[in-house]
Amino acid sequence: MSDAALRRLNLRATLLAILGAGALLAVIFGPAVFDRFTINVLTRSMIYAMLAVTVDLLWGFTGVLTFGQAAFFGLGAYATAMVLTHIGASPALMVLAFVLAFLVPLLVGLIVGWLSFGYKATPLYATVISLVVPIVITQLAFSGGHWTGSSSGLVGYGTLPLSLKGYFRLSGICLLIVATAAFIFVRSDAGKILVAIRDNEARCAYLGLNPERIKILLTTVLAGVAGIAGFLFANATGVVAPENTGFVFGTELVIWTALGGRGTIIGPIFGTIGIDYLSATLSGELPFLWNLIIGALFVIMIILLPNGLAALVDRFLPGGKRSQASGAAAIFGNEAASAEGSFKEKPLLQVKDLSKSYGSLNVLKGLDLDVRPGELVSLVGPNGAGKTTVMRCLSDGTEMTGGTIVMADRNVAGLTPNEIVALGVGRKFQVASVFDSLSVADCLRLARAKRLSPSPLRRSSELDLPPAAADILKLTGLDRLLDQPVSLLSHGMKQSLELAMVVTLEPRLILLDEPTAGLTKTERTTIGNILQKLTRELGLAIILVEHDLDFVRQISSRIVVLHQGRLVLDGTVEDVINSDVVKSVYSGGAHV
Amino acid sequence: MIILLDIITTAAILFIVAAGLLAIFGVLKIINFAHGAWLTVGGYCTVVTTAWGISPWFALPFAFIVGAALGALTELFIVRPLYRRPLDAILATWGLSIVIGQLITLWFGRDMQMVPNLLSGTIEFFGVSYSVYRLFTVVAALVIGLAFAFLLDGTRLGLSARAVIMNETLARALGIDTAKVRLATFMIGTGLAGLAGVLLTPLTSVDPNMGVGWLIGAFMLVMVAGSSFGSLALACLVFGGAQVLVSTFVSPIFGSITVALLCALVLRVSPKGFARE
Repeated sequence: MSDAALRRLNLRATLLAILGAGALLAVIFGPAVFDRFTINVLTRSMIYAMLAVTVDLLWGFTGVLTFGQAAFFGLGAYATAMVLTHIGASPALMVLAFVLAFLVPLLVGLIVGWLSFGYKATPLYATVISLVVPIVITQLAFSGGHWTGSSSGLVGYGTLPLSLKGYFRLSGICLLIVATAAFIFVRSDAGKILVAIRDNEARCAYLGLNPERIKILLTTVLAGVAGIAGFLFANATGVVAPENTGFVFGTELVIWTALGGRGTIIGPIFGTIGIDYLSATLSGELPFLWNLIIGALFVIMIILLPNGLAALVDRFLPGGKRSQASGAAAIFGNEAASAEGSFKEKPLLQVKDLSKSYGSLNVLKGLDLDVRPGELVSLVGPNGAGKTTVMRCLSDGTEMTGGTIVMADRNVAGLTPNEIVALGVGRKFQVASVFDSLSVADCLRLARAKRLSPSPLRRSSELDLPPAAADILKLTGLDRLLDQPVSLLSHGMKQSLELAMVVTLEPRLILLDEPTAGLTKTERTTIGNILQKLTRELGLAIILVEHDLDFVRQISSRIVVLHQGRLVLDGTVEDVINSDVVKSVYSGGAHV
Repeated sequence: MIILLDIITTAAILFIVAAGLLAIFGVLKIINFAHGAWLTVGGYCTVVTTAWGISPWFALPFAFIVGAALGALTELFIVRPLYRRPLDAILATWGLSIVIGQLITLWFGRDMQMVPNLLSGTIEFFGVSYSVYRLFTVVAALVIGLAFAFLLDGTRLGLSARAVIMNETLARALGIDTAKVRLATFMIGTGLAGLAGVLLTPLTSVDPNMGVGWLIGAFMLVMVAGSSFGSLALACLVFGGAQVLVSTFVSPIFGSITVALLCALVLRVSPKGFARE
C-alpha cells in the first residue's frame, strides 16, 4: 500500500478516535449542560440507537431486511416490567429481570431465526417472518389482561435507583459499548462473512460456510441485545406499552437506519438520535408536517441514495471507498497435505444411475461415472445436454431425483453444499461468483474461513494460502492486486480469483463449469497449465465442463460425452475425439 | 349457518382487499407496501363524494380513477427505479404510505369520518338474518375475480402480462413493451386498492390509518397465493375461515393474527405457498 493511502487510513482512524472520545465526553458531561427535556429525549434516543445498530448489522451488513427487532425489544421491556410489577423490585429481582430481558428475546430470536433461514428460503421470507413476529407479540401484549396491562401497558413499577442524569449516562455508555463492539466485529475477519453473505450467499455455502446457521446465530444474539435495550428502556421511562413492540416501531427503526446510512455503524446511530430528537422537539409545533418530511426524505433517500447520509459524508472524507479493502497482505504458502497416494486406485467419486427431473422433464437419465484422484475428466456435449445439471447434482445433495452419488465413501444424498464442501468438493461457477464489496485478499481469507476459524476481534494482515492457490495468484498477477476491491477486477481476473478461492479450500475434487469462457488465449493457457499441475502433481481430481474442444484435448486425461441427459461415451482423449458418435452429436444428427 | 356466512363473507372481503396487491406482485414481483394507504385513499373518496352530496356508489369509479392516477405517478417516479431492488421497493412504498397518510391528515384532520352506508339492513337468508352488505361483498369479490379472469385471458394486456410473469426477458425480446405493461398493471392494482377502500367503508371506521391494519393480512395472503387469483381465492377461504373459527371459538384477538401466523407457517413448509408452478 502506498504512503498516501496509509496516511489516509491513519487520518480516518484518528477521526474515529476523536469521534469516540467526543461521544464519551458528551455522555459524561452532557447531563450538566442539557435541560431536563433534552436529557429525557436523548436517553430514549440513545436506547433506540442501540436497536438501530442491531437492525443495521442484520440489514445493512448481512442483507436481511428485518422489522422484528422491535419485537425483541418489546419482549425485553415487557419481561422487565412484568417481573418488577408482579414480583417486586428488590436488587435480586432486578437481576432476574435483566437476565430474563436477555434470555427471553434470545430464545424467541433462536426460534425466529430457525423459522426464517431454512435452506433455500428466499430473502423475502425472512422479512415476512420479521413482520409477523411483532404483530404476534403486540397481540399477546393486548390480550395479556392484568399481566401485561393490555392496551395501556405497564406503569408505576419500581425501577433502578438512578436519577435522570444517571439514566442518560447509563444509556450512553451502553450505546458506546454496543457501537464499539459492532465496529470491531464488522472490521474483523469473521465480520467480513456478513458482507460476504449479503453479496453472494451461494458462494459462501460453496466455500463450506453455513450461511443459514450464521444468520440464525446473528438473529439470536442481536435479539438478546435488543432485549437488553428493552430492559434499559423499561427502567429509564418507567412505562411499557404495546406500541413499543409493534411493527410500526420496527419500520421506524429501519427508516432511521436507512436515513443514517446502512452498512456503516456510525450512520444509524446519528440517524436515530438526530431524527428521534428532532421528532420530539418539532412534533409539538408541526405534528403532521414533520412525519410528512421524514416520510418523503425516506422515499427520496431509498431511491437516490440507498446508502444513506453516511455514504454522502464518506464521499468527502479522506480514505473513501478504499476503507473496505483491508491492509497489505503477505502471502504465506503453507505446507498443506496434498496428494494422497494411497487413494490412487480407489475412485474418489462414484456416481450410479444419477437422474434429475423437473416434473415430467428428465434432464439426466441414469448416469454412471467414476472419478479417481489425479484424473482430469472433461464433460462435453451440446447445449442442454445436462452438463451444468451434473455439476449442480454433484455439489448439492438436495438436487438429484434418483440414483446415488458417493464422494469419499459418503453418500451425499440430502447434503447441502457446505456439507459437501466439507467432504472435499470445490465448485467454480460458470459466471464468476465472488464477493464484489470485498478486497481480493478478503475473498481468499473467506475461502480459508472454514479451516482457520476467523477471529471476531482482529483483522489479519497476512494471507495464509496453500501453495497451489498462491501459485495461481502469482501466475495470474492477482498477487499484486490483493488490496483491490473485487468490483474493479476484469472479468478474467474474477474468474482466476474464483479458481484461486476454490483451490484455497484444499479440495480433493474440483468442479469447474467453463472456467475459460470469455478469457483471452493467454489467460486460457495459464488456466490450463494450472489445472494440469493440480491433477498431475498434487493428485487432485477435476471435472471440467467445457465447450472448447481444443482446450479439452490438450489438458484432459479422460473425456465424457453427454447427450440429451445420457452418457454416450466415456474414454481417453483419442477414443473420444475419433469417435463417430461425437461427430454426429455435435453436427446435430445423433440418434442414440 | 351464521358461521358459514361469516367465513364466506370474510373470505370475500379479504379477497377484495388483497386483489390489488396481488395484481402488482404477480406481474411486477414488487410488494406495494403503500397498499394500505391506497385503501385509505379509497375510503376518503367516499368522504369526498359525500361532501359533494352524491351517492356513495359513485365513489367506486371515482376511487378507481384516483387510485389508478396516483398509481401511475408512483410507478413512474418511485417504483420504476427500484425493480432491481425489491426489498428497497418495499421500504420506498412504505415511506410513500407515511406521506399519503400525513397528507390525508393535513387535509381532512385526524378524526374519524362519517360516511353513508352503501347498503344497510339485514336480509333473511336460510332462516337467519344477515347483513345485506356483507352478502354484497361476495358479489363484489366475484365480479372482481371474474373481471380479472377476463382481463388476463381475454385481452391483449392480459396476454402481455402473462408473458411478463413467465419470462420477462423473452417478453421484451418479442417486442412487448414491458414498461407499459408494468405501468398498466400498477395502475390497475392501485385502482383496485382504491375501490377496495370504498368497499371497506361500511365495515370499518374511516380515518387516516384505516388501511394499515389490512396491509399485513393482505400481504401474507399474497405471499401464499403467488401470482394466481385462483390460489388467492383459495387462500382467502382457508385462512379467512380459520380466522372466523378462531375468533368465534378462541378469542377475537388471536383471530386477528391467525391469517399472518398460518401464512407464515405454510410458507415455511412450502415456500411457494398455494402457487402451482
